[in-house]
Amino acid sequence: MRSTHSICPVCMRKIPAKYTLRGKNVYFDKTCPEHGDFSTIVWRNDTAGWLKFKGWHADPDDECPHQCGLCLSHRQNTCCIEVELTKRCNLKCPYCLENGIAGEPGLDELRELFKRFVAEKRTFIHLTGGEPTVRDDIVEIVKAAKDAGCEYIQLNSNGVRLAEDETLAKVLADAGLSFVFMQFDGTNDEIYLKTRGERLLEKKKKAIENCAKARLGVSLVPTLVPGVNTDNIGEIIRFAIDASPAVRGVHFQPVSYFGRYPKPPKDEMRFTLPELVEAIRVQAGIEPDCLRYSTCDHPMCGFHGDFVVMPDGLISLTRGQPEAVDTCLEKVDAGGCGGDDSHGGGCCCGAPVTSLPETMEAVEKNRRFVGRRWLRPDEDKPTEDAYSLEGFAERIKTHGFTITSMAFQDAYNVDTDRLRHCSLHIYANGRIMPFCLRYILR
Amino acid sequence: MSEIVCTKCGVPLVMQNARFGYLGHELHADVPRCPKCGQIYLSEELVNTKVASVEASVEDK
Repeated sequence: MRSTHSICPVCMRKIPAKYTLRGKNVYFDKTCPEHGDFSTIVWRNDTAGWLKFKGWHADPDDECPHQCGLCLSHRQNTCCIEVELTKRCNLKCPYCLENGIAGEPGLDELRELFKRFVAEKRTFIHLTGGEPTVRDDIVEIVKAAKDAGCEYIQLNSNGVRLAEDETLAKVLADAGLSFVFMQFDGTNDEIYLKTRGERLLEKKKKAIENCAKARLGVSLVPTLVPGVNTDNIGEIIRFAIDASPAVRGVHFQPVSYFGRYPKPPKDEMRFTLPELVEAIRVQAGIEPDCLRYSTCDHPMCGFHGDFVVMPDGLISLTRGQPEAVDTCLEKVDAGGCGGDDSHGGGCCCGAPVTSLPETMEAVEKNRRFVGRRWLRPDEDKPTEDAYSLEGFAERIKTHGFTITSMAFQDAYNVDTDRLRHCSLHIYANGRIMPFCLRYILR
Repeated sequence: MSEIVCTKCGVPLVMQNARFGYLGHELHADVPRCPKCGQIYLSEELVNTKVASVEASVEDK
């Protein structure tokens, strides 16, 4: 149906691959001359939706992906850049994408790195691990990022230390931390026993409480595993709405099979994006037109929905926006979308990676969006009437809420075309590369 | 506020609540309104501040 390239999940060599429609599903098929055929479901029960995606690009037949660092073939700028702080962790999860490969750069090295990123206009930093908060100098690291000029500093955390140390959230906020992406797999401990190996719900709640006191916005990040928590999606969304404005949204991550996982995936162990969209409709009553597949990254890589939590429930801001006319995927050949309004507003992608400085206006636009939604304002101005003009404008700032998803690629479904459109990058071993690729090639 | 007169009816406008529909959302604000024909007056200040603020927030992404 559509041809691209991938890798053999056994020997990792680059091999041709193609998308194939069978029934209502889309599969990713490939053959390794040494290790045989591989087929993985990538899009379930929605071939019509999948066929609408445009802007596919042939593989340039270069060394992609094995020689990555971002190169001239990469088609997208850095929106956010992840920085690994440690491989150490205070949990031992059955599912872990990192699984012991991260380095532990020293504070001086990080200082130089943050300065370099700011000079390159990469000012949206994610601190990740392992578990970043196990580092005793985590506060100094946040301060170093702030001092270097990083505009937004996000902490990816399991929340354990944020729960146990009452003062940590406040100290991190004072050092310049912007918000927290907190692992949150569900609303009952049966889920945590399966995904994390221990009961964690009370700690998650305590971490949210401590972040709320420090006015650190929290986005909940569930790893979705079929048969474990895919029936809890509606409950997670309701929990998050009830915890607004301290909680700023939910970022769903269907499980990917890299790093540590219990066993190699069969198709029934995959939860694809259209299934998630349908589950959100059924379990939370949020219609699919409130969610939009990515136009910045490849549309198979994620979606976003923009909402406001009103006194009487959630309302969608995304629904009223015009449908995308063209995606950035199509426009990159012509030098990028420049952050224009063709797909409903600000976009971080302006041009190929080689012309980064010219895209600053678009990048700034996207960051303002992020700031409004995930960053808590310094105070919640009480709005007597959330439906008045002034009340609504204020409510968007104080009670903005996002439902987003990112579907990571693993060795079974990685597509070099998708990789080249990635805007979520990671710094590792002196190179900047797509986030997924770091954990596929390891 | 200085008196604003309806060009159609010739009577002074009075402050009344008006509903605004925008991209499927219904909001409201107190604005000068003709008591006879219902025509409203949107000041430049209102448009450039409150309306623009809502518009920017709703449409941005």
